[in-house]
Amino acid sequence: MKATTKIKTRSLIACLALTASVQAAEADQNRIHGGELVLAPTQTNAHVRNFNPYNFSVGAFYAQDFIYEPLWIYNIAHPGQDFPRLAVSFETADDLRSITYHLRPGVKWSDGQPFSADDVVFTFELAKSHPAFPVGLDIQSDSNPNGLIVSMEKIDDLTFVARLSKPSALAHEHIGVMYPLPRHIWKDVQDPTTFANPEPVATGPFTEVRSFSMSQFKVCRNEKYWDAGKPYIDCLKFPQYSGNDQTMLAARAGKIDWLGDGMSDPEKTYVNGDKHNKYWFPAGANANLHLNTRKAPFNSLPFRQAFSMALNRRFILDVATFGLTTETQFPIGTGELYKDWYDAQALQPYRYLMEYNPKRAKALLDDNGFVDRDGDGWRDNPDGSSIEFKLAVPSGWSDWVNTMMTVSENLRDIGVNAHLSTQDESTWFAGTTQGDFDVYIMWTKPSATPHGTYSLMFATDGLAEGRRLEQNMHGMVIPEINQALDKFAQTQDRTEQKKWLTQVHKQVAEKLPVITLFANPDWYQYNDSRFQGWVTQDNPYVRPMLHLGVPERGVHVLNLSLRKEAAAQVARQ
Amino acid sequence: MRFILRRLGFYCAAFAVALTLNFFIPRLMPGDPAATLFVSLRGRMSQQSLDAMRAAYGFDGSLWDQFVAYVIRLLHGDLGVSTVNFPQPASEMLLYAAGWTLFLVGVATLLSFVVGILFGMLAAWRRGSFFDTLFTPVNVMLNAFTPAVVALLLLYGFALQLEWFPLGRAYNIDLEPGWNMAFMGSVLYHSVLPLASLVIIAIGGWHLSMRNTMINLLNEDYITLARAKGLSGRRILFRYAARNAMLPQITSLALTFGFVLGGALITEVVFNYPGLGKFTLAAIEKRDYAFIQGQLLLLTFTVLLANLIADLLNLLLDPRLRDRSELA
Repeated sequence: MKATTKIKTRSLIACLALTASVQAAEADQNRIHGGELVLAPTQTNAHVRNFNPYNFSVGAFYAQDFIYEPLWIYNIAHPGQDFPRLAVSFETADDLRSITYHLRPGVKWSDGQPFSADDVVFTFELAKSHPAFPVGLDIQSDSNPNGLIVSMEKIDDLTFVARLSKPSALAHEHIGVMYPLPRHIWKDVQDPTTFANPEPVATGPFTEVRSFSMSQFKVCRNEKYWDAGKPYIDCLKFPQYSGNDQTMLAARAGKIDWLGDGMSDPEKTYVNGDKHNKYWFPAGANANLHLNTRKAPFNSLPFRQAFSMALNRRFILDVATFGLTTETQFPIGTGELYKDWYDAQALQPYRYLMEYNPKRAKALLDDNGFVDRDGDGWRDNPDGSSIEFKLAVPSGWSDWVNTMMTVSENLRDIGVNAHLSTQDESTWFAGTTQGDFDVYIMWTKPSATPHGTYSLMFATDGLAEGRRLEQNMHGMVIPEINQALDKFAQTQDRTEQKKWLTQVHKQVAEKLPVITLFANPDWYQYNDSRFQGWVTQDNPYVRPMLHLGVPERGVHVLNLSLRKEAAAQVARQ
Repeated sequence: MRFILRRLGFYCAAFAVALTLNFFIPRLMPGDPAATLFVSLRGRMSQQSLDAMRAAYGFDGSLWDQFVAYVIRLLHGDLGVSTVNFPQPASEMLLYAAGWTLFLVGVATLLSFVVGILFGMLAAWRRGSFFDTLFTPVNVMLNAFTPAVVALLLLYGFALQLEWFPLGRAYNIDLEPGWNMAFMGSVLYHSVLPLASLVIIAIGGWHLSMRNTMINLLNEDYITLARAKGLSGRRILFRYAARNAMLPQITSLALTFGFVLGGALITEVVFNYPGLGKFTLAAIEKRDYAFIQGQLLLLTFTVLLANLIADLLNLLLDPRLRDRSELA
């Protein structure tokens, strides 16, 4: 399966998905049922029996995707080749003010009750009446007048319609990712936010919780799963690991089948331990620098341009981040993940900002009055005040700490007095919402289209004096970008969307609200001695990661099955 | 009697002060318990929803309001809700971890006490002998080791290289916890290295202090008298010298037990042992106020209790103190 760039309509996609599942069925004969897959999706000191898919402290790590399924899984690695789950198709109305979803017929909850549009509408109403319950739908209400979704209504048992407050061609990205809850169980729950859901009733491939202890538990196959014959695996086994060291000891010895831990030298620390230990770190979402553009010297465009040119990105890629990051071509805040989306020709004039050119950076600073005025050896602001600032990064995030160290050295080389400031993780996180900082290194949020990433980066409602959100810490408001994003959201035509996106890209490159660095690696390690069907670099059918927030893991796990040799071993025991 | 009442009054006051400090000290740290969670939710939830969620986590209102709510909850025996394991009450995880710590550190303390006392006793009895000149310096040297070094060496040598013992955890996780031989055997097996790492270090302290007390006692007149009476060496050692030398050691054992629930941070982290030290470290990193408060409260309580017991023991064992308190 290779990514195609053809533009398709959603119904065609559903068709493609059907052919894909037919192909999978043909391969079925070679598949063996059984086995327990050992996974480490998160670290904890002790397991707590909580399978609430919308509890992001505990339950969601295990309950999303494995126990509860969304309506739709977007294939971010291959846009357009999505995986319909509880919904089979949807249509956006011509006026873009409503979306009609068609649900999969014959789906049953694990207690035998039929799944229907009532459950979806119930989940929507639950989210609406409990604002603290993080279903993640942008619902219009008295306290949230700008909300996107006005209502969801049942048409018949297998059809519902979502009505929108404004025209949007992208609203399905918000609705499709919701995990419907069983009405007949959750209607009696007093407060869904604090409900632990110890015995989950769900539609996903794994629903039966077995031998739960604080050190390990299993979630075993749902005999009523709609995709007959799947899953191939009997149970998912979640041992408790409290830190990187223990996880790595176990993983290195080949005791964990699937994990996603950051590691700087995977060959030495992981692959060496067991010949079946494999890894693939595909390019993920970008990491950028956010400069506090609401104060000097960061409010000066030439300063930001010089900043960008002063960085030795080659060194950052190859040395500071251990060669695990991926180069980004243009100064637009996004890169490899959305490589099908940018117009290289239109962005070529800004390419120089990504090239290491300390000479030109110095000249630019000189020309704009950033020179040493008090003779202390460091450049000062044009008004004479001195420049000295901190580059904030959480201590222990070694690749990012190295990066910031390089940034500070690069800046000092052009006469700008910048210091590395490592902070305790909690302190650093708390700082992301305050306007009280100089420079932060920050991730971007991957989304089905770049629209999601940019609308967070340029969200204006979280901005105020002393208030930022972690994706718009730069604090810049660029109306042209918000307008272009609105236009993007109002068309379903990919060419049209690209046109508006190029506007966004050009504005970002022109005004440099963020300094683009590199694409972070996505962490994915697996041991293929017991199971087959893994996503590999040669067969990258979905994003391969195990962590929460990658719904594709639900597709990935369905494709895994015991190897013949491993099955024989299980039989002997 | 007045002595006891006065002590009790002091302990109550100390407890009240600790309770207040427990609330404010964690909050003096920069950072926000919900920040990590909210960063992961942002973009999925509107600001209004985030505010509603903050309220659900108990972080709305002024610091004073939160303090009043905390005291009222405490009076009802409620330690609050953990943010790391929201919405589980912090007390559940606290009790779980306390159980393992009580076992690990409690056994280690007792074991090192018994072994250390025996070492000290024999070393003092045969002062200058081969036994004394070998073990006294060795134990004192081991006492100066940091737990990190000992624990890591044991882990590397006996678990990673020789594979005689498991790499960590309190028991084999494929067993169902319960009061059966298989499970308890597994608990013992898994506790060998963590126990060893604690005992090896702690023996020296008991050894040295027992030896010193013993040597002083052995010069006392009543020992000379006992020798003159022609009592057997064994009888003098155990019934006359060691018994008296034990008194201060028992007081200090009681005090040491007060700190058992402080946990053994390094050992627990190295061996992935589910004890209070490790849980508290995680709670501090994640700013899980309810858990930190609960742990500090538990620690304050046990330290004060141990002090009280030590006071009472002294009263019981030392007639001079008893007479004075009766006079007063």
